[in-house]
Amino acid sequence: MAAPVPPGAPRSGANARQQPPPPNFNPNYQTNPNSLADNMQNLNLNRPFTMPNSGPRPPPFGQQPPFPQSSVSAGFPVASRSGQPPGMVGRPAVVPSGPPQSTLPANVLPGRPVGSPVSHMPPFGSGLPSASLPSSTGGAVLPSVAFPSSGVPTVSVAPPPAGSLPGSFLSSSPFTGGPAVPMSNALAGPLSNGTPAVGSGALPGPPQFPSAASVSQPPVGPPPSMMSARPPAQASAMHSVLGSSAVSSPITPPLPSASPFSAAPQSRPPPPGSPYGPQAWPMQPQQGFQPPHIPGTAHAQPSRMFGMPQQLPNQAATTISPAMGQPGAPLSGSSKIDPSQIPRPAPSATPIVYETRHGNSANPPPPATSDYIVRDAGNCSPRYVRCTLNQIPCTADLLTTSGMQLSLLVQPMALPHPSEDPIQVVDFGESGPVRCSRCKGYINPFMKFIDQGRKFICNLCGFTDDTPRDYHCNLGPDGRRRDADERPELCKGTVEFVASKEYMVRDPMPSVYFFLIDVSMNAVQTGATAAACSAISQVIADLPEGPRTLVGIATFDSTVHFYNLKRALQQPLMLIIPDIQDVYTPLETDVIVQLSECRQHLELLLENIPTMFQTSTTAESCFGAAIKAAFLAMKCTGGKLLVFQSVLPSVGTGALSSREAEGRTNISASEKEAHKLLQPADKILKTMAIEFAEYQVCVDVFLTTQSYVDIASISVIPRTTGGQVYYYYPFSAVSDPAKLYNDLRWNITRPQGFEAVMRVRCSQGIQVHDYSGNFCRRIPTDIDLPGIDCDKCILVTLKHDDKLQDGSECAFQCALLYTTVYGQRRIRVTNLSLPCTNMLSNLFRSADLDAQFANFLKQAAIEIPTAPLMQVRDQVTNLCINILLSYRKFCATVSSSGQLILPEALKLLPLYTLALIKSTGLRNDGRIDDRSFWFNYVSSLSTPLAVPLVYPRMFAIHNLNSKEGDGSILPSTIPLSSEHVSDDGIYLLENGEDVLIYFGSSVDLNIVQQLFGFTSVDEVPTQFVMQQFDNPLSKKLNDVVNVIRQQRCSYLRSKLCKKGDPSGMLFLSCMVEDKNAGGASYVEFLVHIHRQIQMKMS
Amino acid sequence: MSEMANTDPEGIDAVRMTWNVWPRTKVEASKCVVPLAATISPIRSHPDIPTLPYAPLRCRTCTAALNAFARVDFTAKIWICPFCYQRNHFPPHYAMISETNLPCELYPQYTTVQYALYPDPNNPASAPQFPPVFVFVLDTCMIEEELGFVKSAMKQAIGLLPENALVGFVSFGTQAHVHELGFSDMSKVYVFRGSKEVSKEQVLEQLGLGASGRRPTPGHPKGLQNGYTDTGVNRFLLPAADCEFTLNSLLDELHTDQWPVKAGQRALRCTGVALSVAAGLLGACMPGTGARIVALVGGPCTEGPGTIVSEDLSEPVRSHKDLDKDAVPYFKKAVKFYDSLAKQLVSQGHVLDLFASALDQVGVAEMKVAVERTGGLVVLAESFGHPVFKDSFKRMFEDGEQSLGLCFNGTLEINCSKDIKIQGVIGPCTSLEKKGPNVADTVIGEGNTTAWKMCGLDKSTCLTVLFDLSSSDRSNAPGVANPQLYLQFLTSYQDPDGKTMLRVTTVTRQWVDSAVSSEELIQGFDQETAAVVMARVTSQKMEMEEGFDATRWLDRNLIRLCSKFGDYRKDDPSSFTLNPCFSLFPQFMFNLRRSQFMQVFNNSPDETAYFRMLLNRENITNAAVMIQPSLIAYSFNSLPQPALLDVASISADRILLLDSYFSIVIFHGMTIAQWRNMGYQNQPEHQAFAQLLQAPQTDAQMIIRDRFPVPRLVVCDQHGSQARFLLAKLNPSATYNNANEMAAGSDVIFTDDVSLQVFFEHLQKLAVQS
Repeated sequence: MAAPVPPGAPRSGANARQQPPPPNFNPNYQTNPNSLADNMQNLNLNRPFTMPNSGPRPPPFGQQPPFPQSSVSAGFPVASRSGQPPGMVGRPAVVPSGPPQSTLPANVLPGRPVGSPVSHMPPFGSGLPSASLPSSTGGAVLPSVAFPSSGVPTVSVAPPPAGSLPGSFLSSSPFTGGPAVPMSNALAGPLSNGTPAVGSGALPGPPQFPSAASVSQPPVGPPPSMMSARPPAQASAMHSVLGSSAVSSPITPPLPSASPFSAAPQSRPPPPGSPYGPQAWPMQPQQGFQPPHIPGTAHAQPSRMFGMPQQLPNQAATTISPAMGQPGAPLSGSSKIDPSQIPRPAPSATPIVYETRHGNSANPPPPATSDYIVRDAGNCSPRYVRCTLNQIPCTADLLTTSGMQLSLLVQPMALPHPSEDPIQVVDFGESGPVRCSRCKGYINPFMKFIDQGRKFICNLCGFTDDTPRDYHCNLGPDGRRRDADERPELCKGTVEFVASKEYMVRDPMPSVYFFLIDVSMNAVQTGATAAACSAISQVIADLPEGPRTLVGIATFDSTVHFYNLKRALQQPLMLIIPDIQDVYTPLETDVIVQLSECRQHLELLLENIPTMFQTSTTAESCFGAAIKAAFLAMKCTGGKLLVFQSVLPSVGTGALSSREAEGRTNISASEKEAHKLLQPADKILKTMAIEFAEYQVCVDVFLTTQSYVDIASISVIPRTTGGQVYYYYPFSAVSDPAKLYNDLRWNITRPQGFEAVMRVRCSQGIQVHDYSGNFCRRIPTDIDLPGIDCDKCILVTLKHDDKLQDGSECAFQCALLYTTVYGQRRIRVTNLSLPCTNMLSNLFRSADLDAQFANFLKQAAIEIPTAPLMQVRDQVTNLCINILLSYRKFCATVSSSGQLILPEALKLLPLYTLALIKSTGLRNDGRIDDRSFWFNYVSSLSTPLAVPLVYPRMFAIHNLNSKEGDGSILPSTIPLSSEHVSDDGIYLLENGEDVLIYFGSSVDLNIVQQLFGFTSVDEVPTQFVMQQFDNPLSKKLNDVVNVIRQQRCSYLRSKLCKKGDPSGMLFLSCMVEDKNAGGASYVEFLVHIHRQIQMKMS
Repeated sequence: MSEMANTDPEGIDAVRMTWNVWPRTKVEASKCVVPLAATISPIRSHPDIPTLPYAPLRCRTCTAALNAFARVDFTAKIWICPFCYQRNHFPPHYAMISETNLPCELYPQYTTVQYALYPDPNNPASAPQFPPVFVFVLDTCMIEEELGFVKSAMKQAIGLLPENALVGFVSFGTQAHVHELGFSDMSKVYVFRGSKEVSKEQVLEQLGLGASGRRPTPGHPKGLQNGYTDTGVNRFLLPAADCEFTLNSLLDELHTDQWPVKAGQRALRCTGVALSVAAGLLGACMPGTGARIVALVGGPCTEGPGTIVSEDLSEPVRSHKDLDKDAVPYFKKAVKFYDSLAKQLVSQGHVLDLFASALDQVGVAEMKVAVERTGGLVVLAESFGHPVFKDSFKRMFEDGEQSLGLCFNGTLEINCSKDIKIQGVIGPCTSLEKKGPNVADTVIGEGNTTAWKMCGLDKSTCLTVLFDLSSSDRSNAPGVANPQLYLQFLTSYQDPDGKTMLRVTTVTRQWVDSAVSSEELIQGFDQETAAVVMARVTSQKMEMEEGFDATRWLDRNLIRLCSKFGDYRKDDPSSFTLNPCFSLFPQFMFNLRRSQFMQVFNNSPDETAYFRMLLNRENITNAAVMIQPSLIAYSFNSLPQPALLDVASISADRILLLDSYFSIVIFHGMTIAQWRNMGYQNQPEHQAFAQLLQAPQTDAQMIIRDRFPVPRLVVCDQHGSQARFLLAKLNPSATYNNANEMAAGSDVIFTDDVSLQVFFEHLQKLAVQS
């Protein structure tokens, strides 16, 4: 944060350093231990919320109870149905934990400094040696957040009293607290580490991770529930009861439960300890024992649940049992719910080692936002492909009944954790990779070799192929090929094949970067042009070296200006295309030249552009014509087109009008059709975009604006071409250039590929229904991605076309054919094979919250432009209700109709659904452009960033000094409720895109002075650049921000908010748990859902 | 050769007529065969022409200017217009007029006077000085070497320009580049696509010279100095002194067109777009001021409007044969395009000069309309490195005596006596469509008017005006018939210094009643002018009339002429004689029939167009040389003397100098060549031989010096391959058919063409047929 752009080096370093230490535990996380309880979280609405508190307690079990509130709540009958620990919270933790992800150092300012950037680039690009990867990517790893539901420690523990299930679950009621805790801790710990790791990884030190990880984990011992019993293990989550139970019980239970379970788990996964240790999250290093409880719970539950017996654990049903349970009592009821007891995300702990398969079956992945290190054991890393359900329903009916959706979130180039093994590259020579002759699926670990290895059966279509002669190998006694372990394609879920000639319609394209800068009057005067030029100028150093890197540049206002950068010329030659209705390229060659040929001219030019147009009085901007012209210049190669646009495109091809203003002046008429403003104004840009995609031109648009620019229309171009929209509104020449530079730098240096084609193949019985994301589709089966990078995620919805066999596995294979920045043609193949099930309960237990929510989010985003907001919100709510209803109806043992019971795995779904409804995209009061940007942003948003977008993390930063010694840089997160925001505090809230810093009205001025250099709150400006002052507090704050940046792979735009100011309102609108104009409070929402379910039940 | 004898046949008026005595009636006129026509060099300089610092008096009704032929009543202070007989009062400032105090224009010898006009005669200081404007339009689709030649020619030209001349630069290849010379930060170029036609409005719009940049009153620019800075002109047009450095460095960096040329294809060259962009630029910047587009073209237009041939090399550029068969897919479209370009340029008053240098055709035939209508210069050469281009181009910008005297924005008005009708004008001008009683129904050339625009004109510009007589039977009119007819030519123009001038030439000729006697008519016949006019009319017809058989038409007319004016007994060819006034005419016709103007199939359409444009704009003397070259023989025994244009003139010990206008051939007889090769001229004792060798060279240089375009100089030896340039022009009196009759040392021509002798025999036979 410190300086925007400055000397980067330090910063990365700094981060790294700091993080390392705590590898295993972050302070925060550790604190969590309490929260650990997560596993079983039952929430008692009544209960007070523990989250924050949880932090402190180290001990696994003890956690919750402490709270007074809990006691209060206790009264409630609520039952935590699942015996498990009441904490509904379970999974949720993920979100908060988010931190772990490391981020890309690159983004961070520091990036500049040599170190980081370099490292990043190479690895990926090259694709080659993985080695480099770690370092480079470093940033990106996503920490898996608390896999377990840690966060919520909360839960309450609704102990036994509730009586609901007490008996049944051993662990459950009593422990809620207890068990939960452990889990969470485990996770948390790792996570936290993870984060750091990431950070470090990126920069300095990959090494740390490993070590850290290993270290921490081993100890753990505990059976990672997950690991061991796939089914059972996961149970960790369990149901939590909202109910009252929580309170009292907590304490005691833990212990008991712990022991029993512990045992169980261990058995499964053998020794959680050393061998596996790493992998599993199991580990909560600290509390070894606790985890166990989970398993136990699982067992217990079985009986109750519907179809799913044992596995219940996972499915924790949680619930709300609020008192309100009673049908009658609506509001009043709600009032009784203790907000502190309801499910909330819990922070994660240290990094987890996650093995993708265990035994011979798929291992459910840790939460997307947690910090985890993947060991590829046949299934791909969940970073690449994550399924909404980790068990596949055998029939369409079963899926329909569950109310859930089956889809894959595919992020084929996702950044791995620095400690993970690099993807191995396999070269089959001229013949290319072995493929099924019928479905063309690529060879993978799930292809079954028979007949002494002479034939193999395709796991996707079932066809029996002959093994190519030179690929033949005998089978071992276990029926596997003897060379299976030596051949990455036979033992790894993700491999890259070197593409042979037949995969190329032409030579792999060079890396082409074309910069297009708005120089209309507004752009120049607001400093946007200067910012863009400066960013480009700095980023040139980060472009891949070598003759394959080509660069071009053009500017535009009411005409398009190309520049001939050929070195032979004494100075650049400016070529103006004045015909903006029907553009063309001014030169066939020399507009795009080798970087080495034009570096000096380019630098000179970038320096001159802002002054050259200083006196321009051209207000018009011909965006459409400019990109078309640039496209024509790039047409023969394809490449990346980076456009910096500052005003509404008003002239030339694809000119747009100020629809927003028209809409405003004509409110009554437009009210019904308001969403039409979110659709592209016409088809011109779309047609253009398709043509761009056809010629492999990927467009990224940086909108540095202070007015309406019709993102709805403009965004069609990046969406269709695999690009992205960056939005700086209102653009500030003071604070935004740093972000612009960092965004641009990450855009160029992140792992990415060009001219890509992607297809997902599924086992017989399942087929791809649709793809959504940023790409162009010309034929139904494939998607064309002129550009694909590590941040882009594609939602692949699936449908049944047949029944699947219970007990069999259903395979998914995503093949991405692409060209690396170094000009190699590669096929990245990621495989995921998941068990099929006939049991509804299994579905709920294996549901992946992050994927489910990402699916929700993306579907909502798709709806936004086509339906009235009201309707979209209702749809989202209904989706949530239907899932919970299904669970309630078919899986939950109902002890009291007054309880709201949530599946453990999905217990945070209501909270996220509420957050989604209140998000920028679904709110009524947003600006059109904000909403357009939002749903475009969402369309390619990666899974780990989905939740934070709607449910940001909030930290208190006025008391950074007070936490000492826990090793974690990030303070603990605070629920998004204004109750938790005090007037004398300063809070930092981040959603992966923006950072809001909020000043209460009675802040300690001394702290303000130390952190920001203001002597009073009144001095707080709206635009600002974070600086590092010479005091520990400021340093800490900078460290915190840098960690977050690394985790999010984003520089994050900072805004300062003051209470009582419009900016303060902005901040408060992020308090999604509050009741506000956007909707109900969290508690009210739960009540609403509960009532709906009850109505439908009856 | 008669023209050599009379060095100034045009006199002060620079007017020559086919008939210096006019028949009274239309019927009689038509019997004269050779049309009534006058050629005028409107601004030819002559030492005797006075320049008057005031405006002429104009007749109230016919607007003719007061002239020496007006009858003046000194007491009543009245003058009577010789054209319409209107009585006009002298204005007050002529109050001093008397028989002994005549204004200059009334002096009988000053039939031509020139008025220097200023917008405000009382305050000449405020008169705007119009700096000339030059927009160079440079083709870049050529090999580096050629581009090098043309660049150095351009640099030289820019150095020669007056410092205040405004210069603009457009280069083109596949696309047209307008260079913004006034942009100091870096080289800045507006790129127009070659494949798309752009209207003037679009050009303005796209160059950022839209509405605000347009002067409201085109044709009447005012406040130029401060006016144009607002319009953006100074972005593109800079005084030569200011932009010379910029332009030179720009030229240094200019390379051949960057767009790749595929194998087997021509370079894409958007000549049409480049020219219309240049025209648009000028239209915006300097409406109404004198401006020239100087186009330097190195190949055919293959892209966009004006395309003359496809880019596929396997398709040759159209030939006359293709034109004849109408197998020219691009021709009409291109001509139409250039026609509209010509209209635009004329309305703006701007000139298109064309310098085409290429081995193949570049489309001069299509562009002819635009060049000719605007009065532009045209030079066709094989290479930009060839002296024909280099020296011509340099001439264009030279100052002083060598100056071409390039003037702008000329208009020609003609007043003539009643009953005289103007059919039209052949030459570098455009009809202004100004109708009047003197406009004939039939049109030849630029007609339907009594006023013409000459956007560009120079000292040598010559126009041919074709007249008709009114069909009413004049002899029936009551005896008031005036025995004299009058013609008045008023030419206003901006001279190179930017001053506005008006030249008034009034001529008178006599009517005769040819029905009574043709003797007077015969005496008034100007053979040379008649030959040239016939050549121009025939060329015109060949272009305008489909399937026109020029040779036959010429033959028929010649026969009719001989029948009417010859002395003979019917059906007795041997009795045929012609009055000396006609004696040369048949030979002119013989050579015209064989010339490149009629025998087009030996030339490309571009060459033909080029020749005709020059035929139409040169004065009678030069045009006559084009038709019938002059031949001078140099030998030891005599002074240089004219020789017969006959193969018989070739002799081993003679040097011949042939001037066919477009080329000058120095032909060494075999013996001379041998001596020269042996180096005798370098030996002191053979001084005479050296002088003999030098004499034709010196004469050739004299001819070349005065001529624009610079002719091609061919130095050749008898039997050498280059000798064809001579042989082609000679009368084939000796061919392989009668070679055995030839004397030693002479030569034969391998042709089946008829010789002059045979031609005459047939003519005599046919002329006397009843």
